[in-house]
Amino acid sequence: MRRLLIAATLLVPLFGQHEKDGEESKNPAIGDPKAIEAGAKIFAGGCGACHGPDGQGGRGPNLRQRVFWHPLDPKTMYKAIQEGVGGAMPAANLPEDQAWQVVAFVVSLTSPAIENPVSGDVENGRTLFIGKGGCANCHAINNQGGKLGPDLSNIASVQATLAIRESIVDPDADGAVGYHAVTVTLKNGKTISGVARNRSNYSLQLQDRTGNLHLIDMADVTQMTLSKGSPMPKDYAKRFSPKELDDLVAYLSRQSVRPYEKEKDKEKKN
Amino acid sequence: MTRFCFLTIACLASISSAQVTFEDLKKSPGANWLTVAGDYQGKRHSPLTQINTSNAANMVAKWVYRMPKAGGLRTNPIVHDGVMYVTNTNEIRALDAASGRLIWAYKDTRAKKEAVNRGAAIYGDRVYFVTSDVYLVALDRRTGAVQWQHKYGKIEEGIFASAAPLVVRDKVMVGVAGGDTGMRGYISALSASTGEELWRTYTIPAKGEKGSESWGKYVDYGGGGTWLSGTYDPDTNTLYWTTGNPWPDFYGGDRGGDNLFSCSLLALDADTGKMKWYFQFTPHDVHDWDAQAWPVLVDLPLDGKMRKLVLHANRNGFFYALDRITGEFIRATKLVDKLDWASGIDAKGRPVELPDKGPTPSGNLVCPGVRGATNWMSPSYNPATGLFYVVTLEQCDIFTSSSKTPIPDKNFSGGGAGTKPKDLGQFFLRAFDPKTGKKVWEYPMTGPAESWSGTVSTAGGIVFVGDDDGQLVGVDARSGKHLWHFNIGEGLLASPITYAVNGKQYVSIASSTAIYSFGLHEPVQAVRLPKIELK
Repeated sequence: MRRLLIAATLLVPLFGQHEKDGEESKNPAIGDPKAIEAGAKIFAGGCGACHGPDGQGGRGPNLRQRVFWHPLDPKTMYKAIQEGVGGAMPAANLPEDQAWQVVAFVVSLTSPAIENPVSGDVENGRTLFIGKGGCANCHAINNQGGKLGPDLSNIASVQATLAIRESIVDPDADGAVGYHAVTVTLKNGKTISGVARNRSNYSLQLQDRTGNLHLIDMADVTQMTLSKGSPMPKDYAKRFSPKELDDLVAYLSRQSVRPYEKEKDKEKKN
Repeated sequence: MTRFCFLTIACLASISSAQVTFEDLKKSPGANWLTVAGDYQGKRHSPLTQINTSNAANMVAKWVYRMPKAGGLRTNPIVHDGVMYVTNTNEIRALDAASGRLIWAYKDTRAKKEAVNRGAAIYGDRVYFVTSDVYLVALDRRTGAVQWQHKYGKIEEGIFASAAPLVVRDKVMVGVAGGDTGMRGYISALSASTGEELWRTYTIPAKGEKGSESWGKYVDYGGGGTWLSGTYDPDTNTLYWTTGNPWPDFYGGDRGGDNLFSCSLLALDADTGKMKWYFQFTPHDVHDWDAQAWPVLVDLPLDGKMRKLVLHANRNGFFYALDRITGEFIRATKLVDKLDWASGIDAKGRPVELPDKGPTPSGNLVCPGVRGATNWMSPSYNPATGLFYVVTLEQCDIFTSSSKTPIPDKNFSGGGAGTKPKDLGQFFLRAFDPKTGKKVWEYPMTGPAESWSGTVSTAGGIVFVGDDDGQLVGVDARSGKHLWHFNIGEGLLASPITYAVNGKQYVSIASSTAIYSFGLHEPVQAVRLPKIELK
């Protein structure tokens, strides 16, 4: 143990200057637009009957919110597809490339949107974002837009395409943590409104519409009104046509501080 | 000073909206702690006095914020208007500095490198930090919204980024790490508003440039990393930035000469990056003794004449005083007792090296060890006591050289260094008088000799230091006598800061996995929960 400690000590001086580069090698189908498209067709023709067409679950487990299931790395998923799972899921015995296409599709359900192709019109989505949708009134992208809602400059790096769509049509689906509307009246009579970026029984971190922070001791609050969810309108599924929704999702699915790098998708768009 | 706290904070009324100006940065620290060193001069000295030698014994933990998935945090927090900004690998978080509650978090999940991060910078309505794969990221400091990010280096060239940026006027100064793998270090100035690179100064000259004659065949990969933030003198618009070791670290056979400008202090014009002067502490280093520790800028009378000095505690075991206008060497004294590679520093500032103290194939015991007499742990300086505080390590290592051919970017250091099993070493907090270079007092630490934490000094007459046993300690700045301690219970790799919110002073430090904030004990007022109407 002492030797280990010594070894660890010796490693520390250089640790600050030596870090791993490592990114796991992965099957080329993953993130490949054509493979995902092909995988989606195979999935819809077989897997979707149990797992739901978007992997939302049914007779079979939900593939997007794997609460009770084992973690799914691509290799495990490939094995499950080909060999089945216990007596519950039959073996597909697909040709190897097709099985990887299915894996690529399932991975795309939960992987960051920027890693996957989009089906809508990105430019039209931008027009909807700043125009008809009124999204930019509350959301900013690259420092353009409102400050009350979550910044969307990097949304495609942290959310999957399906989750982005869900956030538009059902803003409270993920609990809207950090963005519940709040109005407080303080002991000095002042009233402040905005969203609760965080709160407890003892303190409140309130951000107003202009973006300013109000760090409030709850001992100073006499009254508080709190929304049960996000202040975002809940009717975007009705305001937008399915095509418009696809376009808006496509636009948001390209908002990343790290650009989309799949040449194949660019070719497809051209 | 207490009055200062109350007035300042009351005016702010806990609304974080005012722009951070260059004048604010020049005035820091007060209630705010706006740069990684607190001020431009690197003194890490706060004028706050609410916590002082008479009441430090009453300090208690006020809050703890556990950083998700953190291990080995190096972040130096900065604080503005009651908001604290802390960083981790490719990540920055804003905390309510009075309660420790998270306000927002941003992580670049797609960065192509994972390395430590040492802190953020603030200017205007933005906070800045660097990603490991060498992007400067600018965010709205209130909302955490990304405004832009700008790449200023290529990991393919063996570099990465970890240092806290330093904002000077409208420029964000950044450095690079990676000097142990063969690269060319540099300091860049990026536009604070757009991220555009305005100038770049390499620490290792290109072939044919001045200084390149001091290299052999490795000049293209000479190292000279700039992995800690520099300091700045607003009066002369001069940046002071230190540089890391030459590469290959432990094998100097094919890089004969002084290997300029490795292991040096560079004085740069902040507008252009042009080098005003340099001072090399360890010519032709073969012990991995980066000159990284903070250059501290102070004005002191020496021999009856007021001098503008830069003080520097070097990894090679000496404590230097230079004229910061000319770079003239003034004096160097020993930081540590275990120092056997040089008998002293000559009149021109060059080490008087003793024979046979380089790495050998079979190993050669040399003092100080590879971590140096001090390292990235922050020193501090208290103008009232006139003392310079620095954490030092008394330790030796066995240095070995290798006959393998160095290959750039293959993490080959040309040898290595290892601790002699019975000589793990001991850390001391030491106070030096910069006017004489002599040690005034020391505070010995217990522990496994694995500490990386430094100091903050306060006008309350206290030096706070993270010790080698994972404890935050407060000692009397004049005598070094213990006043207070708190057992955090895990390794400390960052240095403490102090700030005030709503008239209350806090002392804060990042442990390996969390941010801790301490203050004076006061009875907790029962909170009568307000009427909450759910809509």
